Amino acid sequence: MNDTTILSRVAGVRRVLVRVVYTRATLLACGVALSAWLVVDGVRLACGGDSLASERSTGIVLVFALLVFWSLARRQTRDINDVRAALWIEERDTGARPASFALVTLIEALVGLRSLATGVSTVDPSARSTAESPLLQASANAVLVRTDVPRALRRSARNQLLGPALFLAGALTVLVVGALVRSGPGAIAGSVLRAVSGDSALLTPIPPLGSWQVRVDAPAYMRRAPQQFGNVQNASAVRGSMVQLRGPGPIPEQVIERIVGDAADTLAAARRERALLPTTNGDGWQVRTVATDGPVTIQLARGGRARLFVIEGRADSIPAVALLQPTRDSVFRTPEGSLALVASARDDIGLTNARFELIVSSGEGERFTARTVQMGERRFVGDRAGTIRATMDLAALELVAGDIVHVRAIARDAYPASNREYGSSETRSFRIARAAEYDSVAVEPAPPPEVDKSLLSQRMLLMLTEKLEKQRPRLERKTLMSEASKIGRDQARLRRAVGDLVFQRLSGDVSGEHAHTVGDGHDHGVEQQQGKLALSGGNAGGVLEEGDDSPVISINQPLLEAYNAMWDAGRELEQGEPKAAIPHMRLALAAIERARSAERLYLRGKPPTVIIDIAKVRLAGKDTGVTNLRREREGPPSREARRAARLIVAAQLVAGDVLAARDSLAVLRVEALGDSPAFAAAVATVLAVMDRNGDATEAFVGARRVLGGVVRTDAGAWSRGIPR
Amino acid sequence: MSDSTRAAMRDATAMDPFVFATAQYESGDWDSAPMLPANVIDSVARYTSLPVRPQGVSVPLSSEAVFAYPLLYLTGHLPVRFTTREANVLRKYLVRGGLLFVDDHNHDVDGAFHKTVREEIRRVAGPLVPLPNTHELYRSFFVFENGPPTTSHEMNGWGDNLVHEQLDAVLRNGRISVLYSSKDYSSEWSFHPDNKRFLSVDNTRFAVNLVVYALTR
Repeated sequence: MNDTTILSRVAGVRRVLVRVVYTRATLLACGVALSAWLVVDGVRLACGGDSLASERSTGIVLVFALLVFWSLARRQTRDINDVRAALWIEERDTGARPASFALVTLIEALVGLRSLATGVSTVDPSARSTAESPLLQASANAVLVRTDVPRALRRSARNQLLGPALFLAGALTVLVVGALVRSGPGAIAGSVLRAVSGDSALLTPIPPLGSWQVRVDAPAYMRRAPQQFGNVQNASAVRGSMVQLRGPGPIPEQVIERIVGDAADTLAAARRERALLPTTNGDGWQVRTVATDGPVTIQLARGGRARLFVIEGRADSIPAVALLQPTRDSVFRTPEGSLALVASARDDIGLTNARFELIVSSGEGERFTARTVQMGERRFVGDRAGTIRATMDLAALELVAGDIVHVRAIARDAYPASNREYGSSETRSFRIARAAEYDSVAVEPAPPPEVDKSLLSQRMLLMLTEKLEKQRPRLERKTLMSEASKIGRDQARLRRAVGDLVFQRLSGDVSGEHAHTVGDGHDHGVEQQQGKLALSGGNAGGVLEEGDDSPVISINQPLLEAYNAMWDAGRELEQGEPKAAIPHMRLALAAIERARSAERLYLRGKPPTVIIDIAKVRLAGKDTGVTNLRREREGPPSREARRAARLIVAAQLVAGDVLAARDSLAVLRVEALGDSPAFAAAVATVLAVMDRNGDATEAFVGARRVLGGVVRTDAGAWSRGIPR
Repeated sequence: MSDSTRAAMRDATAMDPFVFATAQYESGDWDSAPMLPANVIDSVARYTSLPVRPQGVSVPLSSEAVFAYPLLYLTGHLPVRFTTREANVLRKYLVRGGLLFVDDHNHDVDGAFHKTVREEIRRVAGPLVPLPNTHELYRSFFVFENGPPTTSHEMNGWGDNLVHEQLDAVLRNGRISVLYSSKDYSSEWSFHPDNKRFLSVDNTRFAVNLVVYALTR
């Protein structure tokens, strides 16, 4: 082996060693870049961002990898030359101990001579002699012969490359597994990624929440088949119904049930909502809840998408019962005969039984006894409506005088609760009259008081005036004045009689020792003004005073009107103007008719009227000051106003987030179902338009108008078509 | 709401003084204690500085005029069956913060009034529960250490022969919404207030607590 052959073999080893270094740098650069990519991607996913799948991200990773490669390769290949390669071979020579370094010395001399030949440097004079030394060449050959260079190179490459290769393989494995997991089924993906990350809270890239199926199982007592719905947003359910939502894919991450509507206002914030636990069902999920008697929303979220489901819960109404016969209360002279009882009942789910209930109360004063009798019971088998009939035999009830029978019909439905309310009709009362009460009703056994027969009635005066008016063209003025004055005097007498009646009612006795008349200085509730009577200021209320049976408003008002109209008519008649008097006389007649129809009979008797003298009780002559004034309580904000505000917010949401607007409108609709069905229907129209992807502006305007209270501003100067 | 009802409510609210209102219902004898309102008014005027109207009013329970009165008194001997309208108005009245004081004029737990009116209250406002004798009602003005004062009608063996230890109530948000008494205050307080001078201890003082509680709690 000559010098050239030795040098070429060493150069070959050098090249191999350089390749190994480059390969190692490449592996490490790729591994480090992939690791960095995975770390950043994981952090972004945990923060809820998207994965790093963009071209920009890939470019950044490639640049990072090139930087790592360049820094590693440049530093490590810079020192690899033929001398270092020869030294590397000498180090693997297992035959010479200690090493002879003959190969290194020879290569160093040959490299020096080669540099001289290329003019790179000047040569050491001893180098040529060293390179031509036969002993050195033999020793170098011996080193090359003894050393298994290919094996050493393989071992070195294995040692250098195994670690970086494993590092890169690990990063690639994580990358591939992650990609497979993301493209696989959501449940598997979630569990695997959670297992990989070790963080259960880490947001999993599971698919967004999709469609669902709804099943409503009514309570068993209703005997109704389950109802199945498709991908609906709301469902109606009777209280106690099991509402089940089922859908494909992994379990929703969040399922929250919220009580909405009026019921939510009375609950503490912590009780308005609760988390539901969804369960797996085959290759999907399901969640269940029990409907209440109010609206409830269920918010489900998965994969970054939230959906709202509305349960229109309603209570099982108690039966509605109406007592058709008898139609009114009554009093019987004797407890004989029978009464037909008829009642109707209906229920939203189904009736079970209905019957009549009679409470017979006996006694008087402070001692009363009562007993209950039931009759006419009828059982139903889920019928929604029915009629019950019975005959109430008064004799069979063994009633005595003074007894009162309270009759009502009651009906029950199939609701299983032990404390379930029953429906009842209004109550009719039947009383057996006492023998003595006829005496108390009868008037005193005296002849009726003498009527002042000299008075002409208002109707007669009117007829006389109309007759005079017809004769007027044929009468002389003197005769007309005489006849008109005569009627006017009768009119004045009648007016005074009406006035006496007014004051008699106010005082109780016009002919008594302390009779009241016009102008006697007492406060009667009326006062005289220029011949007419008018209500005095402090008696313009309308509430029936405790124990006060002489209400000025209800009875005396028409008489006062009659009095004043008679005054006007009399004045016209005194002036010989019968035509002008007729309208006033008609007014007076109409007022008298109204007073007559306003008469009342108070058979119960008059309770004593006690008016507390507050100043006397408080030992004060008069009120000394104003105490704290009560103020009218401010009511809560108008429900309509709140709903209007929510409707406007929902309308504004349409442009940005249609789904959120739909959810808001759905909740608004279900809350309004109970107390404002018209508004609920209007909101349903808005939802229907939105379902068709139509322009919901008109529907929104319609819903807003249903709420009422729309304030319209006046037309301005620039309003079109409206003149100022 | 009719114009007359609205006018009545306006008149009632415009008058600052407390007005004692007796509930007038269709069934039964709602006016069985005609002297009680005057007696309660006398006590309120006598012991407190509350502005009070010298006469009470009778308000139909079927009228929304009841909303103008913070305290509503209901009594009787006969079975009580609220009409649908009465039940609806009473339900609204209680929701709006009114206090209904119901007293059994029979003082008989086996009586028709007791049975029927409790049933009606349960339907309108919920079940009655015993009111503890330490409730603030018994300290809202006068202090009644042992709870509601015993009436002479309980002591003399009339009615159910029982001395009722406590009153019953329906509470709404911690406040008494319906107060039910079997102690027959309707008989105990139904006398002319001038006759109070013959009593060593005014037996209507508890009525003052009731009024003050209704106005201030």
